[in-house]
Amino acid sequence: MPRPLRSNGRLFSLALAWAVAGAAAAAEVAQKTSSEFAPAQWLERMDHALTTRNYDGTFSHWQGGRVEMLRIIHRVQDGVVAERLASLDGSGREFIRTGSSLACYLPDRRTVLVEQRPAEESLVSFPTLNDQTASLYTIREVGHTRLNHRETHVITVSPKDEYRYGYRLWIDDSTAMPLKSQLSDAHGAVIEQLVFASLTLSTRIPDSAFRPDISTEGFRWLRNDAAPHLQPDAAAPAWSAMTLPPGFRMTVRSAQVLPGSAGPVDHLVFTDGFASVSVFVERQPTPPGQAAVPESATVGSSSAFSTVVDGHKITAVGEVPPETVRFIASQLKAQGPAPASH
Amino acid sequence: MNEELDSQLSAMFDDELAPAECELLARRLSRDEHLKARWGRYAIMGAVIRAERGVRLNAPLAGRVNAVLLAEPALAAHTAPRDLRRARLRWWQPVAASAVAAGVATLSILWLRTQSPAGDAPLVARTAPPAPLTTAPAAAAPADSYTVPVQKPASVVVPSTELANYVVAHSMFSPPMARRNLLSAFMTSEPAAAGAEEPQGDAKALAQ
Repeated sequence: MPRPLRSNGRLFSLALAWAVAGAAAAAEVAQKTSSEFAPAQWLERMDHALTTRNYDGTFSHWQGGRVEMLRIIHRVQDGVVAERLASLDGSGREFIRTGSSLACYLPDRRTVLVEQRPAEESLVSFPTLNDQTASLYTIREVGHTRLNHRETHVITVSPKDEYRYGYRLWIDDSTAMPLKSQLSDAHGAVIEQLVFASLTLSTRIPDSAFRPDISTEGFRWLRNDAAPHLQPDAAAPAWSAMTLPPGFRMTVRSAQVLPGSAGPVDHLVFTDGFASVSVFVERQPTPPGQAAVPESATVGSSSAFSTVVDGHKITAVGEVPPETVRFIASQLKAQGPAPASH
Repeated sequence: MNEELDSQLSAMFDDELAPAECELLARRLSRDEHLKARWGRYAIMGAVIRAERGVRLNAPLAGRVNAVLLAEPALAAHTAPRDLRRARLRWWQPVAASAVAAGVATLSILWLRTQSPAGDAPLVARTAPPAPLTTAPAAAAPADSYTVPVQKPASVVVPSTELANYVVAHSMFSPPMARRNLLSAFMTSEPAAAGAEEPQGDAKALAQ
């Protein structure tokens, strides 16, 4: 019996799409039952899923009262990572990574940034959660609920000080993919939320999925044509932080040429195992009589802070509160010749 | 499109379709572009009626859709109670709906319940103003109880080319979840004026 199209209140319910290709889902069956995993193990499983699975999803990004839809496609094939993140409305920007090549399409600036990264960074491993992480965050499973008709574990990562953000994650029971995530500030207020509207786990994603939708005719292309992994100049000063926020340590030191930059940039990475901050140092003499003015910027919930020290511009960027990047950038000092990279 | 299919689609939208039928219809949705488009229109119509943020239809089209829908007697009869309910509807409903409109390529369709950032307990509860930053970690973990989160104003900035470089370079060293957040925020930060081209001399500005 045909039903008329109804328009009651539930017409306005949301429909979400969720697909799990059979083979991928079958391969997901874990040796342990999901209830046996500790909260920290769920985070590790989630990181593993995000970095090793093939998936194609659409999600909403909420921050500061603005909502936009994005699409993410991720593939690991023969050890090569390919990823595409595209804004479906608004800016129309796209980020495409294929192996060690990163391309950022900025249609609103009619610019494409292309950066070649060292091949060894193609599959970066991240610090595992350890006792030190436990001293900085409280990781708990606070619930087990259904989201999008999927069983999820709700894991919270609560910072113990104000140098970092907290997370609330809805992790899919069978695939360990985060179906929903919230980022909270030190006061517990949600400042960013991502929710998958559709997600497809596939065994195979074609190369064509990693091509940009936009036409780049007439765009300005900025590339880093220099060697992607420079050894620090032996005569150049080594930059290091005099003091760091609790739990942070430097894990990477490298020199690189960024697209469009005039010279090599020192890149230092600091992490507490969960959050990370990059510090970029490049030569920038201040004209006589002009005082350098520190600048702050935000990219969503992430922060940036820039200042000039001893003729060098120091910029800290990270998914941490503004005070943290400001603190780290202000602690950087030049100390003798730079050691070997990494 | 036949009426039976139309009816099934409607039932699925109303969460009244049996799971098995739902899955079958979802499979068909993934193959049938016309059906997919219709599904998307349902979602957008709902969002337009609610006039909620997040759905970006041009004003004349939104107005026409709204007028047509309100002219339906069955709909008009429900308008008042729906208006009363509007305040309880959540911000993201139309957004996810428009996502479905954008592309459904799935094996099964599922439903997301009403929820918003404000509806979830925050990670940290405080009864007193936060302590200033110190270099020593706090001694004890805060309780996991509820406080009303603050709706912060948008604070995004237009990323300059240099900042874009930094964000992309940093993203390679961010943990997976943080990386996704960072790049998503970068993708959705306020775009420059249409066709804006950053002069070479401005490329060194951190933020504009």
